Amino acid sequence: MTVKDREARRTGTARGAPQVGLLLGGLALLLVIAVISVGIGARSIPPAEVIRALLAPAGTDDHVIVRELRLPRALLAVAVGAALAVAGTLIQTMTRNPLAEPGILGVTAGAGFAITLGSAYGLAAGPAGTMGFAILGSVLAAVLVTAVGRHSPLRLVLTGVALTAVLGGVALGLRLMSPNVFDVYRFWSVGSLASREQAPILVPVTAVVVALACALLLGRSLDALALGENVAHTLGTRVNRIRGAVLVLVTVLSGAATALAGPILFVGLMVPHLVRRVAGGSVPWLLAHSMVVGPILLLFADIGSRVLLPTGEVPVAIVTAFLGGPMLIWAVRRYGAGTL
Amino acid sequence: MSIRRSAVLAGAVALALSLTACGGSSDADGNDTGNTGNGADGGSAGGAESNETRVFGADNGDITIPADPQRVVATGYAVPVLIEAGAPLVGISSWQRGEPMMNEEDLATYEGITRVAGELAAETNYEAIAGVEPDLIVIGVPAPVLGDLDLDRLESIAPVVAIGPTIPSAWRELSRLQADAAGALERFDEVQAEYEAAAAELAEKYADVLPDLDFGHIGAYGEVAGGTFQREFGGSWGTNVAEDIGANYYGEVKEPGPGSRAVSEYPSIEELPDALGDAEAITYTVNADGSVPEPVQYVMDSELWQNLPAVKAGMTFPVRYTEAATYRQAVLALEALDESFAPLLDR
Repeated sequence: MTVKDREARRTGTARGAPQVGLLLGGLALLLVIAVISVGIGARSIPPAEVIRALLAPAGTDDHVIVRELRLPRALLAVAVGAALAVAGTLIQTMTRNPLAEPGILGVTAGAGFAITLGSAYGLAAGPAGTMGFAILGSVLAAVLVTAVGRHSPLRLVLTGVALTAVLGGVALGLRLMSPNVFDVYRFWSVGSLASREQAPILVPVTAVVVALACALLLGRSLDALALGENVAHTLGTRVNRIRGAVLVLVTVLSGAATALAGPILFVGLMVPHLVRRVAGGSVPWLLAHSMVVGPILLLFADIGSRVLLPTGEVPVAIVTAFLGGPMLIWAVRRYGAGTL
Repeated sequence: MSIRRSAVLAGAVALALSLTACGGSSDADGNDTGNTGNGADGGSAGGAESNETRVFGADNGDITIPADPQRVVATGYAVPVLIEAGAPLVGISSWQRGEPMMNEEDLATYEGITRVAGELAAETNYEAIAGVEPDLIVIGVPAPVLGDLDLDRLESIAPVVAIGPTIPSAWRELSRLQADAAGALERFDEVQAEYEAAAAELAEKYADVLPDLDFGHIGAYGEVAGGTFQREFGGSWGTNVAEDIGANYYGEVKEPGPGSRAVSEYPSIEELPDALGDAEAITYTVNADGSVPEPVQYVMDSELWQNLPAVKAGMTFPVRYTEAATYRQAVLALEALDESFAPLLDR
C-alpha cells in the first residue's frame, strides 16, 4: 500500500474520487432506506401488500397506513433531513466554525418561544397553530440575529447564542407559570415525525425544496468564501451578498424543518462532519452529499423510533441523538474532524 | 383544556426529572393495604376539641392523627373530596382541573378557603400552611410526587396523611380514606349512596343493551405523544363509571405498568384497527364543554378511524367528565353517559 493509498484510506476517500458515483450510491441507499421505512411500522404489513398499496390502493387498513401514514412520514423525513443537513453545512461554511449548527441563528429558540407564547394565549392549538407559531418565531428570531450580527460571523454567532439564552429563559419562565403551556411545549420540544401527516405541510416542504435548490446554486460562491473573506474578495465574490443569501437560506431551511418536526438539533451539526472528507474540500459536493446523507440518517432514526418500543414510539430526535452521537465520535476518530 | 390539566401533578415529576409522561404510579397494593387504620368507625368519633387520637394507615406509614380533626388542610385529589364531604377545611391547594365539575355550592366553598399551595406539589407554601394552624394535613398526590414535598417540615406543623391516586378506578376507596382521615364520612356516605342509586337506575335502564356490547375507549388522559393514541381498558378514567352501569370494555394492556398504565396504553396510530377493530361500540373522551380534545381529534381525523366497524355502524359515544374522582363528580359523569347512550335505547 502506497503512502497515497494510506492517506486515501485515512481520509475515507481520495481527493479525485468519483463524486458522481458516490452521490449516486448515496441516492440508491436513500431509496432503499425510504422503501424500508414505508414497509416497517407498528403494524406488520407484508411487502407485497406495501407494493399494492403504492401501485393499486384499495382503501384497506394496510393501504391507508402505507399511503396516509408511512409515505408522508418518509417524505417528511427526507425533507427535514435534507433541510437540516444543508442548513448545517451552510452555516458551518459561512462562519468557518465546525461547531455551528442551524440553531445558532436562534431559530429553534425562536420557534420554542413563539409556541410557548402562543400556547399561553390559547392561540397555538392544534398542528396548524403550532406550526404557524413555529414558523413565525423562527423567522423573527433569525431576522433579529441577522440584523444585529450580519457584519461578521463571530458577531452573528454571539448574537444567536445571546438571543437563544434570552428567549429560552423567558419561555422557561412562562412554561413554569402555566402547566398547560408546559404540556404543549414538552412534546413539541422533542422533535418527532409522527402525527405530522395531518398538519398542513405543503408550504414548508415547498419552501425546503426551493431553498435546497438555491443552496446548490450558491455552492461555487461558498467555495470561494471558504477560503476566507479576503481571498473571496480577490476572486471577485460578493461576500456580503453571499453571506446574506446564506442567512436567508439557513433561516428558511431550519425554520421550515423546525416547524415540520420540532427541534432535531444534531443532524445539522453532524452530517457536514460525516461527509466533509467525502466531498474532498468542495462546497458544492459537500452540499450535495449533505442533501443525501441527512435524509438517510433521519429515515434510519425514524425507523428505529417506530420499532424500539413494544407499544408507542420514541421521538425521532431522541433516536437521532442516541445514534448520531456515537456515529460522530467514530467518524471524528476514524477520519479526523476535517477542515473548513 | 381540562383534560390536559389532568396530567399536571404527574407532570410535576416530569418537569423535574424527564420528558417521560407519568400517570399516578404509586403501588395499588400499598394504598389498599394502607387502609389498616381505624377504618370507618374511627372517623366520626369524638366531639369538638377532643384530644383523642387514632392511628391511620396512609402512603407515608401509620400516622397518629386526631380522632376528630377540626382544622384540616387538603391538597391535590383530596381537595374536591373533602369539600364534598364537608370536612372542616382551613387551607387547600389550587385544583383548577376540578373546577368544571364542582357545583355552585362546592365552588363557592373552594373559592372561599385559603390557598396554601399551587397546582403542583412543588408549589406548596409551608408558611401559609403553618399560618392556618391545621391539626391534620391530608396530601392527595401520587406517591412519586411526595418527593417534591418536605414532609418533615409539614409534620412539624401537624400530622400528615398522604393518600394519593393509584389506578384510576381506585378513587372510590381512596376518597373514602381521605374523608375518613378528615372525620367527614357521614356526608361522604350520603353522596356515595346518591351515586350508587343513580348508577343502579341507569344500569337497569340500559340492561338490555350495554352488557351485550364489546366496548373500546379512546382517551385523552395526559398528553398523548404524536402518532399515538390512548386506549383505555376497564377500570380506567374514561371507562370506570360506564362500567358501573353495565358497559363492558374488552381487552387488556399489553405491557402493564404502574398506576394508570395498568389500565391504559399508548399504541401507535397504526395499531388502531387491531386495537378497536373488534369493538362493537366505542366511547371517547371529550372535555367538560363537549369539545373534542386534540389527541382524540387526531384519531378521529384518521382514515383508519373511519374504517372501524363501530364507527361505520355509528356506534361511537362521547363521554364527558372522565376525570371524575369523587362521587359527586361521578354523578355528573353518569348524567353525561345517560345523555350519550340514550340513542342506544332506540336501536
